[in-house]
Amino acid sequence: MVYVTSWDEFVGRSVQLYKADPQSTRYCMKYRHCDGKLVLKVTDNKECLKFKTDQAQDAKKMEKLNNIFFALMARGPDVDLSEVTGKEQMEAQPAKKGRGRKQ
Amino acid sequence: MGLLQPDPFLNELTSMFERNRDKGSVWVTVKRSSMKSKSQKNKMATAGEPVEYRCLIRATDGKKKISTTVGAKDHQRFQASYATLLKAHMAALKKRERKDKKKGVDGDRKDGAGSTKKPKRV
Repeated sequence: MVYVTSWDEFVGRSVQLYKADPQSTRYCMKYRHCDGKLVLKVTDNKECLKFKTDQAQDAKKMEKLNNIFFALMARGPDVDLSEVTGKEQMEAQPAKKGRGRKQ
Repeated sequence: MGLLQPDPFLNELTSMFERNRDKGSVWVTVKRSSMKSKSQKNKMATAGEPVEYRCLIRATDGKKKISTTVGAKDHQRFQASYATLLKAHMAALKKRERKDKKKGVDGDRKDGAGSTKKPKRV
């Protein structure tokens, strides 16, 4: 098992893995505070994808992946993912505009 | 501990993160599950009943296990609180490094913030 180094590749491949076998694919994260390390793993018991990081900026990316997987797993593999990622952008934009005008 | 409701689960997860601050790891696994045994599933399949799936979330620190499930209706509320929980507890990850400059600027800002705010009110 090798760590995937590119985040986009990790997201793409893990979603693909899940869609191929929704029933047996799990998404696992391990966080170790004392070492400041975060490991994400997606596996279907045949193939295993892992991503390792110690960067805070990757935690933000992970949040998005969490949302993707919660949506995929709670609603089903056919859920429209653009809805999940699109909403976040919609929420972020008005907030920025508001701040700019006030000051 | 076993299966909890989402809110007690988040509380337990918070204390699990706190217990493992100095030493230890926390694992959180997310999986799609019907929460039924194989025989139950087979029975339902033969009876022609549709199998309902939920999202199962499990957490452990190697000593204690907790879990919860969220369905299609309540997963968005859960994932929002889960995200804030993670943000609060993943403080050990490295920020982008701009070491010495930042420390100096931060110190100045704190002193300056008080004096700049007051004139605005007046």
